[in-house]
Formats: sequence, C-alpha cells, structure tokens
Amino acid sequence: MAQANFDRRRINGPEESHPPIFGAEELVHGSRWKAGQPRDSRKPEDIRRIFLKSGLIDQANGSAYIETERTKIACAIYGPRQSKNTSFNEKGKLNVEVKFTPFSCDRRRAPMRDAEDRSIAVAIHQALISSVRLELLPKSTIDVFLTVIEADGIEGCIASGIVAASTALADGGIEMIGLVVSCAASVVGSETWLDPTEAETQSSEGTVILSCIPALGTITSLWQSGQMRQHDVLRVSLLVPSRAYF
Amino acid sequence: MLSISKAEKSYIQAGLTASPPSRSDGRGLLDCRSVALETGVAPLANGSARLSIAGATEVIAAAKLDVETVDDGTEGRDGGRLICTVSCSPSAYPNLSSSTLDDLQADLTSLLHTTLTHPTLHPQNLGILPGKKSWLLSLDVLVLADGGNVLDALFLASRAALWDTRVPRTRGVEYKARGRTAATATGGQGEGGRGDMDVDQEVQSGFDSRMIHRATDFELPDYWDEGEVLEGRERWPVAVTLNLEPPIHFLDATSQEEAASPLRLLLAFAFPQETPPVMQAMRMLGPGEVVLTELKELIKAGENYARAMHAALNTKLREEEVRRNQRARERFELHR
Repeated sequence: MAQANFDRRRINGPEESHPPIFGAEELVHGSRWKAGQPRDSRKPEDIRRIFLKSGLIDQANGSAYIETERTKIACAIYGPRQSKNTSFNEKGKLNVEVKFTPFSCDRRRAPMRDAEDRSIAVAIHQALISSVRLELLPKSTIDVFLTVIEADGIEGCIASGIVAASTALADGGIEMIGLVVSCAASVVGSETWLDPTEAETQSSEGTVILSCIPALGTITSLWQSGQMRQHDVLRVSLLVPSRAYF
Repeated sequence: MLSISKAEKSYIQAGLTASPPSRSDGRGLLDCRSVALETGVAPLANGSARLSIAGATEVIAAAKLDVETVDDGTEGRDGGRLICTVSCSPSAYPNLSSSTLDDLQADLTSLLHTTLTHPTLHPQNLGILPGKKSWLLSLDVLVLADGGNVLDALFLASRAALWDTRVPRTRGVEYKARGRTAATATGGQGEGGRGDMDVDQEVQSGFDSRMIHRATDFELPDYWDEGEVLEGRERWPVAVTLNLEPPIHFLDATSQEEAASPLRLLLAFAFPQETPPVMQAMRMLGPGEVVLTELKELIKAGENYARAMHAALNTKLREEEVRRNQRARERFELHR
C-alpha cells in the first residue's frame, strides 16, 4: 500500500509514528484550568488579539494573513479567471480550498493524504458565498486558497479563515456586498466564552460559529454543534455580532 | 443537485410565495410527504432501518458492531467509538460526476458524523473490558434515491437504526494466578456489570516471569435475545430542514423545490425525557442571508416541527418493535 503512493520528493516519516507526549506541560495545562472555574487569561466575552495584514503574498491577486494567538492562517486569492470546464455558467464560481501544513496540529498531518480538510472549506465557502457578487462574473472562477500554519481548534480555524478570506477578497479587488466577519462562541457551564481555544472547546457542551455582514446586519452562516438549549443559541447569536465588529 | 431552467425556478418560487401557496403536489407549506419506515432490514447488522419518503427518497441505515482493542497505538478508545459514514449510490445522482459525488458524500458524512459523535450523545454501554476491549459502532447510511430532503431522511434513518441496535451481552473471563487471593474480580467485569465471572484456577509456575498476572478476556454468553439496546437511545436527535424562501419557509422540499430555493436551515434537536429539548446541530446551507430576528422565529418553529417528527418517529419505532417481537415469536412457535 505504501509503495503505490510513495512520494519521493518529500521526506517521508516512518510508517507508524506517535505524537510526542509532554508530561510536564500536560500537568501545567491540567492544573491551570478545571471545569467550573472561571476562564483564565481573559474575560468570557473577550476575544483573542488579532493580527491581520493584507497583501503579503506578492504573486496572488489578493492575500491576507491572520494570527490570533495560536491560530495562524495565510490566505491567497487567484482570479477571477476563466472556468476550465466548458459548460456555461451564468454566475461565477467560488472555489475554497483549505490545506494544513504537516506541522500545524499536535499530530502530524501527512502531506497529500490528510492535509486537506473539506469540512472547513465548506464552512468558509458557506460564509463567503453570499457576500461575493458572483453574478457579475459569468463563466469565471475565483480560487481561495487557505494554508493553516498553526491550528488551535477547528472553530478558531473556521472563524479566522473566514475573516482572512474576506479580507483577501477585498484586497484582490473582487466586488462584494460587504466584508464578512466571523466569531466562535462556546457554552461552558452557564457562561458563554467568545473565541474559544481548542482546550476550551473540548470542555464545552456546545459551540456556535456565526458569520455575518456587519454592513447589512445579515447572517451568512450559522454553524452549531454539540448540545445547547434554544435560548442559549439565541443569546450567543446576539452576543457574537455585538462583539465581532472590529 | 438538480439544475432547472430559470422559468421553472421562478414558477416554483412564485407558487411558494403566492397566497394561498401552491406546491406542485398540492401540499401546504408545512406538510410533509408520507414517510415509510421499517427496522431490521439487514439481518447481519446489529441494527438497521430503511426509510422512504413518498417513494422518492430512499435511505438505508445499518449499524454494525466490531470488537476493538484499546491500545495506545490504535484508534480504539475506552468506552467505545462511533463512526458514521454516508455513501450515495450513483444511481441516486445520475447527473453528478464521480468526483462531485465523492464531495457530496464527504459533506453528508461530516455533517452526520460531527452531530452524532458528539461526546454528549455517546452511549455508555459500548465498553467491554475497561482498558482492553471496546465496541466500535459503525453506522453506514446509504442513499439509494434522492427525491429531495435527503438530510431529514438521513437523520431519521440513522436514529431508527441506532434505536434498533442491540449490543451483544459480554461476560468477562479472568485467569487468576494462584496465591493472589487479594485480586478479586473487579477489573475483569465489563462496564455496567453484566454477567457473572468465570474464574479459572491456574497453577503458577516458578519460572513465570510475566509481569501481568491477570489476563482478561471476554466471551459471548448464549442468550435468548440479541442483547441490550444502546444506552440513551432516546437522546439521538431528529433533524428538520427549513427551506427558506423569504418571507416564507417550507418543509420537506422535493428536488425541484430544492433547486428553486437553495437556502436551507438544518436544525437537529434531541428531546430527552426529563429535560427540555436541546439543539444538537444547526447549519445554514446554500447561498443567501437571514436577519437575526427572522432566525429566532425559524429556530422556534423548527423546534416545534422537530418535536412533531420526534413523536411520530418514536411511535413508529415502538410499533416496529412490537411487530418484530411478534414475528420472532411466531417463527419460534413454528420451529418448536
């Protein structure tokens, strides 16, 4: 099996490998926060600091780089270009691809095999699609490539990825009806924690990712997983936009 | 999925938003097509169900249990695992290329998997021997035909198959080295403390340098039924898709209607017996935007639709259980 798709151009790791276990660090993490305690390092309704810069990738038509503590994502936009397939399309196509670098997660992500995450790409596509004026670009395709350099939870990746992609689209001069901003929130006990890290998501009962166009006050994507009461969902949905406009 | 002409699209949209609204099959906006459900359709699976919405959408779900070793190097986890997979038959989507079909399968799989494998839903009786063996529950859902509203069908069929799943009873077996009377049977028992323990006495060799003095294994006792049901099977969610065509929304879209109004809101609710209903998943699908105030109304309405669907499904599943018990009894009488 390994011989068939063996990539000679890369340094191949051993067939079977395990992520290193850092005993000491694990202890520090465990002692820092326990269920039921208030959130450490920031207030429940605070988000992490964001570094966002556009135009870092020269050869792309538009690009952006976002960093929120341990989440680092680079995004490049190519196009609009002519669609490769011959069928006529009245509306343009937005193509989103998310790739993880092998060193982005705790466990190594092998190149080619599990570098791509379609579910994140679908979530980002859903949030962006209604903001881009694709009806102005018949027969064309816009490619959005996101590279996750460091990941701190899926939720953080999706939310930061949406912000980066929307910024890059604007940087690329693509017509949009508004910028899309996105933020995740987790319900931990009776509190709502905005912009949770991976560890915080794991200790929460449910998570919501909300993407909206602040300029129009509309929601483009709502993504909830886990267990939440209806009023919690609504409370979080109200809270996220009030804090996410920056 | 289906691509329809602009004229057809606007015809359907106009019908939906007209007052009174009219749909091609004469239903009201909030009427569902008739749903047929049968459980126990796959004899070799531990639980299965076949669901058909008016003969247009057909879904088969089957749950199968495998024994897994819980080890550092393997995927196996103490307390068992659940893996959900959705596969779409090419005959259900003759107009899609194989790569698009793969993408569709991946999307449906990730939606079902992330919803059903959330730790709050995990059944507690999937462990066999703590730290050694556990059950791997694989839920495979096959879409045989798509006549619209596949998402609701997927969740309904999955819930029925998981409801129908029986976990075989296991009994821990312990080999105890002589002279270690202190080590009484505690570790060898499966979770939930089912079954008695067989304790084999073994003569200890003086040359025995093994570190582990107690090897544990399990056996399947021969019993009259197929096992016990999954713990917390009332908790599995039902999903309802609201198709949005502002200002109205409608339920159970046909494939033409799905093509005409692509914005959908999927809501999955669970209705535990003692506590108020909880939301297990929510997704906005398709191009379009909603305003927060609208969304509030939609979620409230969705909960009511899901409750009605949940009640109907539960009634049907209990009916199915009675029917199958009766059939089993008749067969037993025949062979006696």
